[in-house]
Amino acid sequence: MSGENAVILSVRGLKVRAGPRLILDGLSLEIRAGEVHAIMGPNGSGKSTLAGVLAGRPGLEVLEGSVTYLGEDLLAMPPELRARAGVFLAFQYPVEIPGVNNVYLLKAAFNAVRRHRGEPELDAFEFLGLVRGKLRQMQMSEDLLNRGVNEGFSGGEKKRNEILQMSLLEPKLALLDETDSGLDIDALRIVAEGVNALRSPERAIVMVTHYQRLLDYVVPDQVHVLAGGRIVHSGGRELALELERRGYDWLRPGTAAA
Amino acid sequence: MNAGTILERMAASHQAQAGRFAAGAPWARRRSRALARLLERGLPGRRDENWRYLDHAAIAALSFAPAPGAHVDPARLAPLLLPLPGAMRLTLIDGEFAPGLSTSGSDGVRIDDLAVLLAGDSAPELESLREPADDVDDRFALLAEAFAPGGARIRVAAGAVPAQTLYLLHVGSAAAAGMSHARLVIEVAAGATLTLVEHFVSLGQAPALSNLAADLRLGDGATLRHVRLHAQTAPVAHLETWNAELQAGSRYEQLLLVLGGQLVRSGLRLMLAGREAEARLAGLFMVDGDCQADLYTRIEHAAPMTRVAQNYRGIAAGRGQGAFNGRIIVQPSARGADAAQSSRNLLLSPQAVINARPQLEILTDDVQCRHGATIGTLDPNQFFYLLSRGIAPDAARALLTRAFCEDILAALPVPGLRAPVEELVVGRLPDRDLIRRLA
Repeated sequence: MSGENAVILSVRGLKVRAGPRLILDGLSLEIRAGEVHAIMGPNGSGKSTLAGVLAGRPGLEVLEGSVTYLGEDLLAMPPELRARAGVFLAFQYPVEIPGVNNVYLLKAAFNAVRRHRGEPELDAFEFLGLVRGKLRQMQMSEDLLNRGVNEGFSGGEKKRNEILQMSLLEPKLALLDETDSGLDIDALRIVAEGVNALRSPERAIVMVTHYQRLLDYVVPDQVHVLAGGRIVHSGGRELALELERRGYDWLRPGTAAA
Repeated sequence: MNAGTILERMAASHQAQAGRFAAGAPWARRRSRALARLLERGLPGRRDENWRYLDHAAIAALSFAPAPGAHVDPARLAPLLLPLPGAMRLTLIDGEFAPGLSTSGSDGVRIDDLAVLLAGDSAPELESLREPADDVDDRFALLAEAFAPGGARIRVAAGAVPAQTLYLLHVGSAAAAGMSHARLVIEVAAGATLTLVEHFVSLGQAPALSNLAADLRLGDGATLRHVRLHAQTAPVAHLETWNAELQAGSRYEQLLLVLGGQLVRSGLRLMLAGREAEARLAGLFMVDGDCQADLYTRIEHAAPMTRVAQNYRGIAAGRGQGAFNGRIIVQPSARGADAAQSSRNLLLSPQAVINARPQLEILTDDVQCRHGATIGTLDPNQFFYLLSRGIAPDAARALLTRAFCEDILAALPVPGLRAPVEELVVGRLPDRDLIRRLA
């Protein structure tokens, strides 16, 4: 079905080390425009490392393999260029930055991406109108705009703020790192609606998650199981449900696959 | 010019300006006594505990000749002034009261030129000028006692709440090398309230030395809001020694901004003498090039239920050197005292140095004390978060550095100071041009 869509991301034989530990051990993955992939796996399987290495998180050392993003060598690009070129990472733990105004960051990020795309920057008035619409969509209070970035936000507000940023920046490749963790059911629904609103034929979305409950709301095209630093099993939506029932043990390397 | 030991040069300098200090008068006798004590004890050195971070060699290399009397054209000062419309004005030029650039006090505020007030053969007001102590903390105050030709006294009458801010401008002519000294006495009587903005500027570019000895007394229930802004553009060395005493229920709020000068040493000894006296002290120093800032505080809780909160930030870039040395002593008599001290510091280059030294000395059990000191670089998680949103690394660094100062600047009690202070802060950051573009 997706065969004719453009490849957004192609990961080949990726080996990544964090400090002395080998975290990703020959991971391969291909994602096409319009697709939503879920990466599931037990704690410590390397899910967040995968999201981090794609966004350019420091402290991760690529030993082998390649990552091609829209035909370009993603690993050769510094983090800020990846972001401007349309890679967005929604952080598992969004960082608090007291003293940097939230709306200021939104505007700076937005205009950096627009400039990169050769689009005109919005003036302050137009931009505020745009952000207000996004705030309503994420059911966020407007006074969060003038706080420090994520400063004093609740866990749910931080995650919603990530999706708000994503929605504003309209990435080509969205990486959601455990965006569902720590959310109550209402917040989960709001976040899921935000993600669903971004589904489009031009965009690829990768959701890294431990539990399948987000997938009740954002139905993936493919589900991959990450274990021991590589993808050990791929399937459709039903794989997530099976994982929910049976856990991850039956898929660990060295265990006979069912 | 710099031949001889420091003390020999001091003595020669004093001799050379003997004509300024009317011989035989009570104040002149005190000056002579101070010089004798100074020559006996010497200036502080690196071996002295509370002076170990100061670049003493830089001070020894300065000229101790008196700063040549400078005429200052008010037109040259105008562009340097802070926007404080309607403020009462007091201007000291090279430590001396400048009547033409000072307004008379109003609303219960009285401003006096010490050189006038304390002149003559009988000087009953002389006792309001504290005679510096023998200990080494007070040694530069002793130097000022020996050399200062004058200065100012500010008195706020009991219960007075003047509507206007008092703007105290310290002008260093810095036309030529040389030293200048000033005395300052600030007395806010019981129940009175004053907002004081102190601003240090320089006109020339000579490596001058300026030295201020100041005494501050707050009566029962008095309040002083005090902004102290060091914005000297000349490569001057400025030393200051503050001795403050707070009576019962009084409140002292200080915001110290060291954003200028080649070397600034700011010492504050504060005595919480009366029940429920409170001091809230905040500060920020920024040093780059080979500049130095050395902040020393010694706070003593001597009465029950006294409170102090100290919040200091330091940023060092280039080969800048900064120090915060803060000592809090809680006497047995200070039951229910509350002390909080925080010193956070940011190093922006591998050659920059910051020393942070909190010291608590607690002599009673019934007390709440918290303190913390950090010295570090920019937070890598915050940095990566900004990059991951498409912000360029230099802009991210600039934003985070600027953000580091935010809660100190947010504490500015005088509206209208925010913009000029912000500009001074940004002007000292390595990415200043970028930050201005981003704003």
